[in-house]
Amino acid sequence: MSDLSAASEALGLPETLVQRSAEARAAETGASVDEILAQWAGGETAPAPAPAPETEAAEPAEETSPTEAPADETSEPAAAEVVIETPGEPAEAPAPAAAPAGPYKPPVLVGVRDSPMTVLAGVVGLFVIVVMVGLVGPSIPTDAPGARSSAIGYSAQALHGREVYAVTGCAACHTQMVRPVVADVGLGPVNLNDTNQILGTRRFGPDLSDVGTRVTASQIEAIVNGLGEHPTHNLGPQDLASLVAYLSESATSTPGAGDPGTEGS
Amino acid sequence: MADTRTADIRTLLGGGSAEDRLAVTHFLVGAVFLIVGGTLQLLSLIALRFAYLFPISYGRLDPAANLSLMIGFATISLVGGVYYVLPRLTGTRLAMTRLAGLGLLGMAGLTGLGVVTIFLGLGDGGLPLGLPWWLDVPLAGALFVPALATITTIRSREEKRSFVTLWFVLGGIVWLPLLYLAHLVMYVPGVSSVTSAYAQSFFSGGFVTMFLVTVGSGLVYYTTVKEMDVPLASRQLALVGFWSLGFASVWWGAAQLIFGPGPGWVAGVTAALGLAWPIGALANAANVSMTLEGSWTGLGERPAVLSGVLGLYLGVGVAVVASLAGFRSVAAVTSLTAFWEAVEYVSLSGLAALLISGASFAGLPRMVGRRLESPTKARRFQRLTITGSVGVLISMGAAGILSGYSWIAGSNGGAYVDAGEGWAAGLGATYDTLILVALLFAMILLAGLGGYASIIFGTVARGKAIPQEVLVSRESADE
Repeated sequence: MSDLSAASEALGLPETLVQRSAEARAAETGASVDEILAQWAGGETAPAPAPAPETEAAEPAEETSPTEAPADETSEPAAAEVVIETPGEPAEAPAPAAAPAGPYKPPVLVGVRDSPMTVLAGVVGLFVIVVMVGLVGPSIPTDAPGARSSAIGYSAQALHGREVYAVTGCAACHTQMVRPVVADVGLGPVNLNDTNQILGTRRFGPDLSDVGTRVTASQIEAIVNGLGEHPTHNLGPQDLASLVAYLSESATSTPGAGDPGTEGS
Repeated sequence: MADTRTADIRTLLGGGSAEDRLAVTHFLVGAVFLIVGGTLQLLSLIALRFAYLFPISYGRLDPAANLSLMIGFATISLVGGVYYVLPRLTGTRLAMTRLAGLGLLGMAGLTGLGVVTIFLGLGDGGLPLGLPWWLDVPLAGALFVPALATITTIRSREEKRSFVTLWFVLGGIVWLPLLYLAHLVMYVPGVSSVTSAYAQSFFSGGFVTMFLVTVGSGLVYYTTVKEMDVPLASRQLALVGFWSLGFASVWWGAAQLIFGPGPGWVAGVTAALGLAWPIGALANAANVSMTLEGSWTGLGERPAVLSGVLGLYLGVGVAVVASLAGFRSVAAVTSLTAFWEAVEYVSLSGLAALLISGASFAGLPRMVGRRLESPTKARRFQRLTITGSVGVLISMGAAGILSGYSWIAGSNGGAYVDAGEGWAAGLGATYDTLILVALLFAMILLAGLGGYASIIFGTVARGKAIPQEVLVSRESADE
């Protein structure tokens, strides 16, 4: 393996880029390209890097074009950055050790000494808190009016229909949740906590809690098949029958204990 | 032949270091999914307005759009941004680049497969993503890869001082897979539909506040300071923004289900933590504004910085609008309505695109050695995206408020409410008109998103050659 290939592998860069970088480095140091490549390939041990200053730029960063050397090419401070090499054309490559032109400007990407692993611990700790407050806590069943924890006794066909309801994406437009608020008074008894209904979080279409008490099975079937402005779902006969069974049997649920009080306005 | 093809691809991606090529690839893949997701999002809105015209229902278009935008665009692009800044902030090479490449493959492949799965009716119908468990679980694994690469890189860092971006990046990239894992609780046998509903909303909200805005803001900090060559105004303010965004995720799900099946104390928590998002968003926007003090006039020449600033301020607007819904009096009208759809729509497309372009417009030219394709195009992208986003937010939000009021009035009338349609023909027509207006603004927004993708691809393929940053190891540079 040539030094160029070895250096390319060691640096993780394409050979063409390494070759040009070596030429630039050779031009500035007076060494030969082969020596530079041998160093980069691991033939010689590179000098240990000086510790990065805490408040100053580690080293000015140079840029270059792979195809041209723009007139406005400038150096820029890069305090906390990986050192950026100058793989430019040898004749045009600026000396990397030279300070940027103009008055000294302090680096801008400066931070403070800290421990990211402590931050990581804080990040994970905060996540545990938000899960407890935002997910676990609200999921605990309550004894609020209308709240139930019992499952509706669906038939096997209706339970399959529940899967059809989910997969078809009905819950994207329909809720199965009647809340104790004025807005939901016309929707029937308050119904908050059934374990085998799909609550949904959007109500672009009517609420479907206990829909079987309001609409017949044949009407449900017609709606699913595209009656009015409802989209046509093109379900197979078995899936359609199951979905209709699921919605019809929703009528069999019983209101929860307590009065369906209202609040909000 | 194979060697030639490899070389060509490397040239296209800038030919620089492995991590930079990886970051560029992330930006490119993200731009593809932005077009897919943006189009699906618009179609979902059309399906909502003209349901009877569409062969595919809103219930399938919406999760497919969310999946493309959340994972395909936002996650992949932001991870690209993270891979861009990590080596530059830590002074060390990105760890596990091969695994990171596989992570990209996993995220992109599973997203594409997921969209097809949803269209075939094999999804689980849940929101926001609707993936079946056999895609959810591997996707969760793929989301852990960037977190692993980030933590490993930071552990071996050379630079011992942390710029604030490192906090945002570390927090967001770790929170995302944890959020995803938490929302998989809905697959646990015996879990109630209440828990499932909260889990889905919890992930939606957490994704926006704990990942999208957190990582996006962190990248904007980096871009602003780097591009303008001015120091950050306040590190403390940045940290206030960071931790506030972390707390903000709690409220989103609970706010949507206020008066719902949760215990009473949830409403209080919701109102309090609902303020965390605007506080965090405002802290970051104010901090960047103070950093830019005296430099505003030249901002037009810096598309990356301008995009970032616009993204931060759009984020403030969305956050303020959304947080209002955390209060019971407002939630009584807005919950379950198109109001929340407006917040989600704008967050996942306009807000995400502006924040991400803040990083990609700065990073791509440096990594591939090509000038940003066209500043004019960039300005057009910014104008269209802002106009479309604000228009959708206002019109669709208003439609949601209107339908919420219509339910109340309908209930007072004692009649059965055809919820979502309005209680009277006149108001029903107004609701439909507002959704139609939202649709028009959504088209403008999509044009803006198309402009972003065009700039990304145009820069890599046709941009004029400029100086290129090339990462090399510190040892070889210090010789």
